[in-house]
Amino acid sequence: MTRDKHKVLIANRGEIAVRIMQACAELGVGFVCVYTKEDAESGHVSLARSLGGEEALVRIHNYLDAGDILAAADATQATAIHPGYGFFSENYRFARRVVERSRPMMFIGPSWRVIRDLGDKINTKRLARGLGVPTVPGSDRAIYDEMEAESIGQQLFNYQEKQGVTRPMVLVKASAGGGGMGIDEVHSMNRFRQTYRRIRNYSQRQFNDPGVLIEQRIFNYNHLEVQIVSSRGGLDPIHFGTRNCSVQSPGRQKRIETAPGFVPGSLNYAFDARKVLDDIVRHSLSIAREINYDNVGTWEWIVTPKGEPFLMEVNTRIQVENGVSAAIARIKGQGEVNLIREQIRLGLGEEQGYAQKDVSFEGVGIEYRIIAEDTQNRFAPWTGRIETIAWTGQPWLKLHTHVPQDRAYQIPTEYDPNLALAIIWGKDLEEAKARGLAFLDDFKLAGADAQGTELKSNIAFLREKTKDLLEF
Amino acid sequence: MDIEKNLDSLSQRVAYARDIMTPRTSERLEAVSQEIALLAPTLDHLDIDAALDKIAAISRKLSVLEEDLDQLLTPMDKVRVVRHPQRVCLKDILENVYDNYTEIGGRDEVSIDPGMLIARAYITRRVGKRVIHHSVMVVGQEKGHGQEFRNGGSIKPWGNAKALKYMKVAALENIPIHAYVSTPGSYPIEDYPGAAQQIAENIYEMAGLDVPIVAVFSEGGSGGAEAIALADRRLMFSHGYYSVISPEGAAAIEGKVHGQSRATPELIEKCAKHQMITAQDNLRNGYIDSIIEEPPLGARNEHFDFFKRLRSDVIRATDEVVLSVQGVSMLRKLARRRAKRPENVEDVLIRWELDAKAREKLTWKRYQKYMRMARHAYIDKRGIWEKLAAKHMEFFYSIYTTLRYEILKRYQKKLARVATDVTDEIHVVTSRMDRLTSQALEKLGLLQGGGDHEALTSLSAPACDARLSECSYISPKSLDDREVSCPHAAERGCLDIWARDLFGEFGGVCPNCGYHFPMEYKWYMANVFDRGSVREFNQSIAAGNPTGFPKFDERIKQAKEKTHLQSSCVTFNASILGIRLTCGMLVADFRGGSVGAAEGEKFIRALNLARKRHQPFLAYIHGTAGIRIQEGVNGLIQMPRVTLAVRRYIEEGGLYIVLYDTNSYAGPVASFLGCSPYQYAVRSARIGFAGPGVIRETTGMDIPPDYHSAYKALSRGHIQDIWDRRDIRANLHQAFLTMGGRNLYYR
Repeated sequence: MTRDKHKVLIANRGEIAVRIMQACAELGVGFVCVYTKEDAESGHVSLARSLGGEEALVRIHNYLDAGDILAAADATQATAIHPGYGFFSENYRFARRVVERSRPMMFIGPSWRVIRDLGDKINTKRLARGLGVPTVPGSDRAIYDEMEAESIGQQLFNYQEKQGVTRPMVLVKASAGGGGMGIDEVHSMNRFRQTYRRIRNYSQRQFNDPGVLIEQRIFNYNHLEVQIVSSRGGLDPIHFGTRNCSVQSPGRQKRIETAPGFVPGSLNYAFDARKVLDDIVRHSLSIAREINYDNVGTWEWIVTPKGEPFLMEVNTRIQVENGVSAAIARIKGQGEVNLIREQIRLGLGEEQGYAQKDVSFEGVGIEYRIIAEDTQNRFAPWTGRIETIAWTGQPWLKLHTHVPQDRAYQIPTEYDPNLALAIIWGKDLEEAKARGLAFLDDFKLAGADAQGTELKSNIAFLREKTKDLLEF
Repeated sequence: MDIEKNLDSLSQRVAYARDIMTPRTSERLEAVSQEIALLAPTLDHLDIDAALDKIAAISRKLSVLEEDLDQLLTPMDKVRVVRHPQRVCLKDILENVYDNYTEIGGRDEVSIDPGMLIARAYITRRVGKRVIHHSVMVVGQEKGHGQEFRNGGSIKPWGNAKALKYMKVAALENIPIHAYVSTPGSYPIEDYPGAAQQIAENIYEMAGLDVPIVAVFSEGGSGGAEAIALADRRLMFSHGYYSVISPEGAAAIEGKVHGQSRATPELIEKCAKHQMITAQDNLRNGYIDSIIEEPPLGARNEHFDFFKRLRSDVIRATDEVVLSVQGVSMLRKLARRRAKRPENVEDVLIRWELDAKAREKLTWKRYQKYMRMARHAYIDKRGIWEKLAAKHMEFFYSIYTTLRYEILKRYQKKLARVATDVTDEIHVVTSRMDRLTSQALEKLGLLQGGGDHEALTSLSAPACDARLSECSYISPKSLDDREVSCPHAAERGCLDIWARDLFGEFGGVCPNCGYHFPMEYKWYMANVFDRGSVREFNQSIAAGNPTGFPKFDERIKQAKEKTHLQSSCVTFNASILGIRLTCGMLVADFRGGSVGAAEGEKFIRALNLARKRHQPFLAYIHGTAGIRIQEGVNGLIQMPRVTLAVRRYIEEGGLYIVLYDTNSYAGPVASFLGCSPYQYAVRSARIGFAGPGVIRETTGMDIPPDYHSAYKALSRGHIQDIWDRRDIRANLHQAFLTMGGRNLYYR
């Protein structure tokens, strides 16, 4: 094995850094952990110290400063960089820089061209349409012509009327925009022109590009995902099933993820759920194959109440909820699947070692994101000092956290207040839900902030949402 | 009494001569001085006649000596002559050359710019019994024998604006303009307006003034001179100088002098010599039409013979201009030619008012006059066939454009109008039929609004202007693996940028704060224009060393080898989103983008080509340091020369857009670039007349660091907008579609 020649620099923090470190240790790959001043007390730092010693730790100024991270990599003679999720994970420039600099390293993630091509939503949509993959009805390129925009708007209203949509709605958004900037909806053709012009002018001023996208607005959808795993070269991508991530905060942040996406065996759906799952898996694989996708990635879909799936985007990285897919997956009948381990292994250029037919699924997994936030008050993050974090170990439970259990922990205000991920497995939905509730009852979390206000967490919200999980 | 006066004037003449010869000493002069000093105490004992004889003897001796010294004057001595406080000033000339005058636009200290003197003057001519009063507008820099408030004839922007205003008045009143140039250079401040901006406007407007303009050079320093000197006849005092920059300035640049140190006198002397600044040099090079002889060691206000000569030369020059464009003038031309002696010049009756036709002819002649200048000063490496082919192409294009745009276009418009009328008529019928058939089909249930679904969910045709993703040009700066810090990192929190990203994909723009790092001109060639559309022409017109400036041949050769260019100007045809255009580019890599004869010529040829092809013209200024000082007036003359070509292009309905990219200073900005109504700047641009060092030197002011920034230029109204480098392509396309130019091929 050539694994011991490698040293992976983990360009991330918190839970994912912990998971990557553990996976590296399991694989026998060396690692380097970076941390900032604010994170010096974090669990990922102490774990790194215990697994790799002081030489596996480098302090940097900023997780987003590429120069800082690469200098740390050079100083420790790292051979690969794992970006985790967030930060540099979907930044193709960083990926390109890692592999093309004068001391090149490996980037544990898809190759930079893939990240670039799939990072552009319009490009992804065109790629999908070229392969006959369903996408949200509407334009698949920026529209610059008012007449064209109006005709697309009219067609969308006609289309929805024919589909029997009770409240047809059309979205107009700035093609150069993002993060909710320059987006508005129209409910009638009479208002279309004024909305179109407002968005176009906004976009022209803000981004110096008057192009807009016009799409159908879809309501009451379910958010599904397909997990793809592929070795370098990307010739034979395989999937690790589907997930349903429909339980979200009002800011569209996921709170509970379940695998698989639907459970047609236990629940009744208004449409053929099995076919929907098969379709989205098939379509996702066709795109992965087309673009030679060469690491782990997630294809995000929305499914309408009538059971129509539309491809939304592709996340070219490992995701937070990777563990829930791993929980129900079996490779050659064996459990203990770890997608992060697979990612590192494949990222370093190893063979896949199994084929799609070797991957099977068993039971239902639920992942809870335990977050310090005030669910009563628009999910405002809570920061303070955590005194207690405790739970009872179970064979069906995996809990990942960077919060140390042996001492109090101050949540840094600089980063998000994500505390722990709990992954629960059950042989069917009933059992999983019951175990999930049992876990939530058992889980202990206490603390107070500087004003003495008691810790606020989303546990009650999670419990509430567990009841009708996967129903649609 | 008389004796003392005479003696005093003698010693003053000696002192003056000593001033002029300053660094050197003349033994003969000292001997004369000694003689005067010895004579003074003995005079009391002599009787008057003997004393006067002695003084007259010394005076004669001194005159001979002055004549001899005059032969020895170096160019730098001549610079000292024109700067001497005793030098004739404009008021002396107004008093002694003209018969009557009134100052307008302020007097002495009470004026917007006391250095600029405007006067409505009269020349009264008696021919036999008839008396004619010629009125003339006199403009010129007034040094006023060293009066402090005149600022040495260094004119502020508003002084030039005042001159322009009254020159326009002269055009309105149809009277000739006499411009007396006596300035060391313009006052280099950027205010409202900036120096460059105002000089550019002056040159552009003077190109179209349709009254005779006669310029008389005493001290012609750079842009300040050009601001009033675009003339039909250019005369020069024999002891004057006319140059692109003062010898001291040239020496400071040549010797790379910074801060408190000064260039050595030897270097200054050398620069003065090699820039060919004297009247004799300029006459030889064809930049002036004739020389007005001055008395030995230069004219001072007691030289009344000189004023007489000046008067007849100025009248003669104005006459010549008038006669060259007047319809009926045969006899008078002959008569003038017969009148050999200068005193007789006033005897022929010539009126200076021009009729409409003559005025039109006048500006055309002025254009031709300037186009003929500086033709010798660049190297034309084209072979004989190439030249012939170019001539043929020119001819072909003249015929083609006449056919295409003047004859065909008129018919085309008529035809198109008729055609649209007919189709609109037919449409009335067809639309009704369409409606009827679709109604019928719907009733039959045959027509379904299908197809909608298809269009909404399947792949549409790709957009026509696909993003220029993989750029064909790779900047050499992007090759090495290093990090670049944004200069604003401290206050704007920019992270260091990888050189390959910065100079590759980001186009040299900081992704956080938008700071623009400079980029190579080739980047623009590859990223602004349609791929593969760039066709360069006139490549073989090369910059040379027309003045024989020492060691400059090698430096020009080095620049050519380094950049693989023949001059700092690159001219080419290209297209932007299908719109064909002509572009003249000044490249900063080639000797700072300075403009000499070759660059001016290439610019003019490109303008002419664009005019003939009815294409928009883009002046893309990658960077320019000004006029190439080593070429002297050969470079300086490009200011009015190219401006005239620009004016002709704009007047014939072209669209002239100027885009500044990095440092753009001095001559070009103060003429053919600054005169454009559509000027834009990239954020990295700095636009001005003179750099901070020169401003400190001439005005004693320390300027703030953002004095010349694009934002300041925008607030002065010099430029119209500031563009992000990555938007140049889209913005240019927009500009071509929406701005100016009634005669473009695609309109």
